Amino acid sequence: MTPQPTAGLSLKPQHYAEALACRSDGLWFEAHPENYMAAGGPRLAWLDAIARDRPISLHGVGLSLAADEAPDEDHLAALKRLVDRVQPILVSEHLAWSMRRGVYAPDLLPFPRTAAALGRIADNVDRMQAVLGRRVLIENPALYLPLTGHDFGEVEFLTALARRTGCGLLVDVNNVHVSAHNLGYSAEAYLDAAPAELVGEIHLAGHAPDERLGATMLIDTHGAAVAEPVWALYARLIGRIGARPTLIERDDAIPAFAGLLAERDRAHDLLTREREYA
Amino acid sequence: MREAFHDRFLAAVAGDDAALAPWCETPQAGLSVYRNTMAKACADALVAQFPTVERVVGPAWLAAAATAHAAVSPPRQGSLLTYGAAFPDWLRRFPPAANLAFLPGLAQLDLLWTEAHLAADAAPLDPEAVAGLPPDAFGTHALVLHSATRFAGFDDTTPRLWQALQPPGEPPDAFELEPEPQGLLFVRPGLDIAHQTIGPGALAFLAACRDGDSAAAAAAAGLAAEPCLDLSATFARLLAAGAFAALRTLP
Repeated sequence: MTPQPTAGLSLKPQHYAEALACRSDGLWFEAHPENYMAAGGPRLAWLDAIARDRPISLHGVGLSLAADEAPDEDHLAALKRLVDRVQPILVSEHLAWSMRRGVYAPDLLPFPRTAAALGRIADNVDRMQAVLGRRVLIENPALYLPLTGHDFGEVEFLTALARRTGCGLLVDVNNVHVSAHNLGYSAEAYLDAAPAELVGEIHLAGHAPDERLGATMLIDTHGAAVAEPVWALYARLIGRIGARPTLIERDDAIPAFAGLLAERDRAHDLLTREREYA
Repeated sequence: MREAFHDRFLAAVAGDDAALAPWCETPQAGLSVYRNTMAKACADALVAQFPTVERVVGPAWLAAAATAHAAVSPPRQGSLLTYGAAFPDWLRRFPPAANLAFLPGLAQLDLLWTEAHLAADAAPLDPEAVAGLPPDAFGTHALVLHSATRFAGFDDTTPRLWQALQPPGEPPDAFELEPEPQGLLFVRPGLDIAHQTIGPGALAFLAACRDGDSAAAAAAAGLAAEPCLDLSATFARLLAAGAFAALRTLP
């Protein structure tokens, strides 16, 4: 029997062999589907091999659900093929946009959280779930720009989106920390407001001060170890809502597999303790 | 109002700081974060796509070229796996590359490598299946290229230079090209890509196969391009490399 997934790691090509060989309890892997939208070849072969042994989560970055247009059908079809192929335990995307009039801006861009935006994004999430034939999780982005014109707070917006579409939430605790710092609100209050029953996954990652702006602007770099304030927020969150599959997310300045595994083990221990108390 | 927001956000990122005035006080430091992230993501994807070019010009030169290219040829798909198809031709018109005439060719070969890398898996044609064919069957059958087979021809020795630049070996001291027509063939019969230089005859043979011509017509095309081509040795070499997937009976 496969043990219950606890804490997972971002799947990186330089770690394929170690990922396949690793026997850590509760370990799972998360991949960006955009990196596997190929017809064949060694990348897909590795993903297939790891998916045979371990739970996989597919975490999209390019579907642009918060665009003012429908998601790209070719992209959705490629995602569907990948979902059918690796049978992931979780599929997620972001509350952000990146596609506009046929041009892809590779970032997770913000928007005013209006009632009209909620309707459009709910339609897009409905379409995603209809094509994939399954529930997806939507992640809170890191924010760098204080916009006005919001009708909803972010948690309120995500909760309304989930109630409307049946999707769940992926809470990125580092993004909460970074956004709260940059835009000046309470990360604790944000996390305390997230409805426990909607949270299906948690992300932890590292951040860094902006190279030019300094500590006034934190950047969600995915290029460093998880910071202690983020671990504290994480402990607070799972203390309230209980254990959830948790990813140590790393996409830049990638250390040796053993280093990432040590961070993962810390999350695994916290989750296991949480389950014992539950 | 929302429709306007997305366009205005991109205008602001492109440099028109006032475009976002209805939604935030300007100028905003946060805009530069999005601007930098987008530019870096495009440049990183292009740098990863052209490792042989990087070996010649270094990472800083290529990143600067990639940033300039992304400004005029942004990605059009939510996956960046194949981003950069227009980069080799763009390099031909990029003034800093003017005295590096071999660079676009190297970039073109890097793209073909990626195409072979990402192509559908398929079993290569079993040489035994061909060995038993009677000679007249070559007029009624076409050789179907393997899904990962890619090739390109040059008027010079760009293919040999590309090969010399592949790790783990040290790059050559000088990047000299000889005026000798040469092609490069990529095959991936399993998961590993192999490459070999080929002459004009083999190139014409493969191109005719790609066009769906009969094996006999492909042979004629090969001989027309290279009159002293050793046809059976060339065919055996391509077959053994895994360049073909099947024999198709022509209607």
